[in-house]
Amino acid sequence: METTDNSNNTMVKVENLDVIFGKKHIVHDVSFNVEEGEVIGMFGISGAGKTTIIRVLTCQIEKKNWNGNVLVTGLSPSKKGNHSKILSNIGYVPQLELLNLYFELNPMVNVEIFTSTYGMDKKEAKLTAEKLFNILDIPKDTWKKRVKKMSGGEKKRLSMAIGLIHHPQVLFLDEPTTGVDASKRYDILSYLKKLNQQLNTTMFIITHDLEAALICDKTAILREGKLLEFDTPQNLINSLPSNGLVARISIEYLNQEIIKTIHKYPSIEKVLRVGNETIEVLMEDFEDNLPKLMKFLFENNLKVYSMSRDVANFRRYFQIRIQEEEEKENPKNNSELMNGSDSQ
Amino acid sequence: MHLKNGVIRLLNQIKKEFRLLWTDKFNIFIALIVPPLVVVLIGVTATGSGNLADPIDCVVVSYDSNTFIEENNFTESNLDDYNLKYVEAVNSSNLLNLVQFFNATEDIYAMETARGYMISKRITIIIAIPVDFSELISWGYPGLIDCITDSSDVQKIQVSLNAVYDSIKIFVSQNNLTPQFELNGFEEFSIPENYSSGYNNMMVLVLSFMIIGVGMVSTILIIVQEKPVARLLLTPVKRIEILLAKYITYISILIVQNVSLVMTALSFGLYLVGTVFDLFLALFILGFAGLSIGIFISTLSKTKTQANQLFFATFLLLILLSGIFIPIEAMPIYLQAIAYVLPLSHGSPLITGIITKGKSVFGFDFFSLLGVSVVLVVLSFILFQRRKYEV
Repeated sequence: METTDNSNNTMVKVENLDVIFGKKHIVHDVSFNVEEGEVIGMFGISGAGKTTIIRVLTCQIEKKNWNGNVLVTGLSPSKKGNHSKILSNIGYVPQLELLNLYFELNPMVNVEIFTSTYGMDKKEAKLTAEKLFNILDIPKDTWKKRVKKMSGGEKKRLSMAIGLIHHPQVLFLDEPTTGVDASKRYDILSYLKKLNQQLNTTMFIITHDLEAALICDKTAILREGKLLEFDTPQNLINSLPSNGLVARISIEYLNQEIIKTIHKYPSIEKVLRVGNETIEVLMEDFEDNLPKLMKFLFENNLKVYSMSRDVANFRRYFQIRIQEEEEKENPKNNSELMNGSDSQ
Repeated sequence: MHLKNGVIRLLNQIKKEFRLLWTDKFNIFIALIVPPLVVVLIGVTATGSGNLADPIDCVVVSYDSNTFIEENNFTESNLDDYNLKYVEAVNSSNLLNLVQFFNATEDIYAMETARGYMISKRITIIIAIPVDFSELISWGYPGLIDCITDSSDVQKIQVSLNAVYDSIKIFVSQNNLTPQFELNGFEEFSIPENYSSGYNNMMVLVLSFMIIGVGMVSTILIIVQEKPVARLLLTPVKRIEILLAKYITYISILIVQNVSLVMTALSFGLYLVGTVFDLFLALFILGFAGLSIGIFISTLSKTKTQANQLFFATFLLLILLSGIFIPIEAMPIYLQAIAYVLPLSHGSPLITGIITKGKSVFGFDFFSLLGVSVVLVVLSFILFQRRKYEV
């Protein structure tokens, strides 16, 4: 097995990765590449295998439990001798700050503790920390206070700064928006994008927060250990019927029977229930078919409250793609799955 | 290069440990302030039960008749009453306070009354002068005095015996006698009269208990509560470096703790026949055993609660099988085997040997403690290496 290959600036190379613990097959034949400077988002519901993949990439799973060709910054985690070098080349921002920061110490000392493990010069570490703290808007008056006195968002940003302090080639982030107020989620994502743009750091994010796709150059969708898609969010959305154009329709007394009726319209590709009385419809030749669909609804005596048109976002694509997989596995329950509610 | 990087990382980990320790003021208080404070407390209180304190209340019950039977001539005659001369000696002693003299030859309830005094805590000692006390002394036989002490207060037994012995010395000196007196309770290697025996006896127990206990208490949580280790392990730092840094840090604390303990103990009049170095080394090996147990418990436990419960159970076992309450020799053979493995059973013999007998620290107890500690250190490294950390 090749252990050093950094050609074409590929930061992470995964080929035919299988992870097996005893009789449990956690990851099935996953392959993807991450190029330098890219922000990659790996999405999936709980149990999809996201964390397992990141653990392989960060040398946390012994080789006996996985197969495949994996290179991180050109080095294979399969060799224990490479672990120290890989860990020097990467940064890791864990999910929970409570478990990865020294709350009784101040941010600067936290930085010193982690940088010292990389053998970084103290002065250089301090300067880098100040630069990162400024980019991440960590208030100067908190730099010398105990971490436990910082707000949740500040802790999260401090954790990111520590992940980046040694100028890693790849930064792995585990659920960076978990535990953050809804209003702050976008802040965190924009900080990540800012860091990516200013420092050209390759980022590998695993999350179930679909909003994170907003900052991703490429997105991977995992389900039950299988990689369903790996492409840019826009390409994935464009792969939907009519390039992802959707009609959002609110119908009085919406129920399963009504959805079945709508599904009978010939050009309909997907009907998604997205609210109590609201559906989203994807169809071929959207512009031609939309007026015809509306006519069809009226003809079937369905009372339409409102109708609007939109372009599907990554959230919608994810929902559709996961639903497709579930339908493949359980064709009998097609209609039930189709009626699955969505939280917007 | 690898070694150099490793050493630098280790030094940085030690720095981190000291920083973490500094944030945990309570742990510093327990490790560095409490032990000498306890010694000071005992020093201040225990000197009150020493020979330099108030005289001990006593009564003398004499069964000696005021007549003398000549040797080989069993006719009564008036003679010197050595029993009364002994009472004078008791009165002359600064260590005894004669509450009452009973002549049991005239008062058959004398001993009952004296015991009543002891029950009501009016006295601590009953000195009983046996029949023919004067005769035996006159004939040059060894004199015999029975000393009944209030053993409900263990701390005062030795002090009481010392005080009675003092009165005998005065009696012998005042009467130009050269008899040998027999007094039960005196042992070799006992604490000299000018030292507080109460303080010294307590110190043997307290030092071994405290140094092991504090070593355990200050380390039982150091691994189980340091959550960011999971993240540290995603940097080039090695597990062995993290644990080694903890050992080095707490050994440093132990050295400071021992220096302050030895100094405090000596300043309050610890009777030390052996060398200060031996005492220091004895305390060090006991403390090292304590912190080895503490770190072992910490590596073994998954949660803080588990660590605390394990600590409690272990410390209880250490105390029960220490031989302090029940002699180890009196235990069943399998418990004896366990007791000799546990560090606390070696604490008291090790310290007593140095303090009162001037023994070298290097002996069976020292090497037993060293052996147990090394085994625990090795086990803790193995457990820490296998410990599951997930970020």
